[in-house]
Amino acid sequence: MQPGHNRLWIRQRELGVFPDLTVEYRPEQCLHCENPPCVPVCPTGASYQTRDGLVLVRAERCIACAACPYDARFMNPAGYVDKCTFCEHRIARGEDPACVETCPTGCRVFSDLDDPKSPLHAWLAEAERVDVLRPEMGTAPKLLYLNTPSKRGLAAHESDVES
Amino acid sequence: MTTFYGLPGAEAFWHGTTLVHFLLVALAGGTAFYTAVLGLRRPDKARRLAWWALGFIVLDLFMLWAESPARFRFSHVWLFLSFEPASAIWWGAWGLATSALMLLLLALGLGPARFWSGVLALSSAVVLAYPGYALAANAARPLWDHLLLALFPASGLLVALAVVVWLRPREEAAPWLQVAALASLGLTALYPVALMSGGADARAAFALWLRDWGVFLLGGALLFLAAFLARRAPGPASLCAVAGAFVLRSWVVEAGQHSLFMHGF
Repeated sequence: MQPGHNRLWIRQRELGVFPDLTVEYRPEQCLHCENPPCVPVCPTGASYQTRDGLVLVRAERCIACAACPYDARFMNPAGYVDKCTFCEHRIARGEDPACVETCPTGCRVFSDLDDPKSPLHAWLAEAERVDVLRPEMGTAPKLLYLNTPSKRGLAAHESDVES
Repeated sequence: MTTFYGLPGAEAFWHGTTLVHFLLVALAGGTAFYTAVLGLRRPDKARRLAWWALGFIVLDLFMLWAESPARFRFSHVWLFLSFEPASAIWWGAWGLATSALMLLLLALGLGPARFWSGVLALSSAVVLAYPGYALAANAARPLWDHLLLALFPASGLLVALAVVVWLRPREEAAPWLQVAALASLGLTALYPVALMSGGADARAAFALWLRDWGVFLLGGALLFLAAFLARRAPGPASLCAVAGAFVLRSWVVEAGQHSLFMHGF
């Protein structure tokens, strides 16, 4: 990666009103949407979705235009659009993505959404709230946020969610 | 307060050359469309304008290639090796290529001119429409409202007619210049209304528009002058039309590419 470009970033926000204050640290990246808006608008087929649901970019086909509602894509100085791949190469070897393996607090889990025995489903069962970013866009992101202070759960009305 | 460790990909990704492309593609599509209309009625009169339109397309294609970060990887060839009908840019690439071929045939006087003109009318309409479609399809940039689907073709045709006024008998193009200027002016007036009446993102975009409303006033005034002068003094009217369309299109492209979501969603 070139300096100044990030496939993953942390958004830090102060939330609430004194004395009920909190600071949220929220990791953000490509959400590997189930309905990725970047794929159909790609004019060369460079952006595509794998059978496993990853959203990837074929650099050799990319003509460097970007369209992501989450600002998760950036222009690689080599002349193509770059983004998080969920460490496709590691997943192929049966390993976790690097962000999951290196997270010092173990706040991330990566597993199969379709497998009810996966650790993710245990986390989901214990969570008070589950959220995705900008659910109103219908992109169905596959990065789920559990108990995020700025969110109120997918069932809550949009106006109740603090942005 | 919001701060970041690392940053989302929210920075501006287009530069001044891209703004020139958005003017050139209007000129290319609009002159090609006018050539098609002329060719359907009087094919023998369309040959000279066909060369001009072909020149504008070649210039636009060169500009697109030169300003692309992918220019030396030649990945643009995939535009023609892929089938992506949901992509505006894919349609634009085929529209430009088809228009260039039809214009060459018309300019050389080869084959059935009226048939080529019919095909050219369709392909050049695609060229006029695809920039606004490509922008409006980007849900991350709410200033690129769906009204651009109408505003960009109208202002594109206006730019082309402003040039055609100098290339063809003025009494022929001047009335259409007035119509295109009035249509562009009406759509420009609707633009803030479209933003204001949209969802939360559109309202945030309206706040951004309010910051730069003077640019729209300037562009609107130039379009009004173009419409007012079109029949009286087509020369100055054409200058006002090009300036007004360039100001408005450039502002929409440049201001619209900045993310409004840096502060949260």
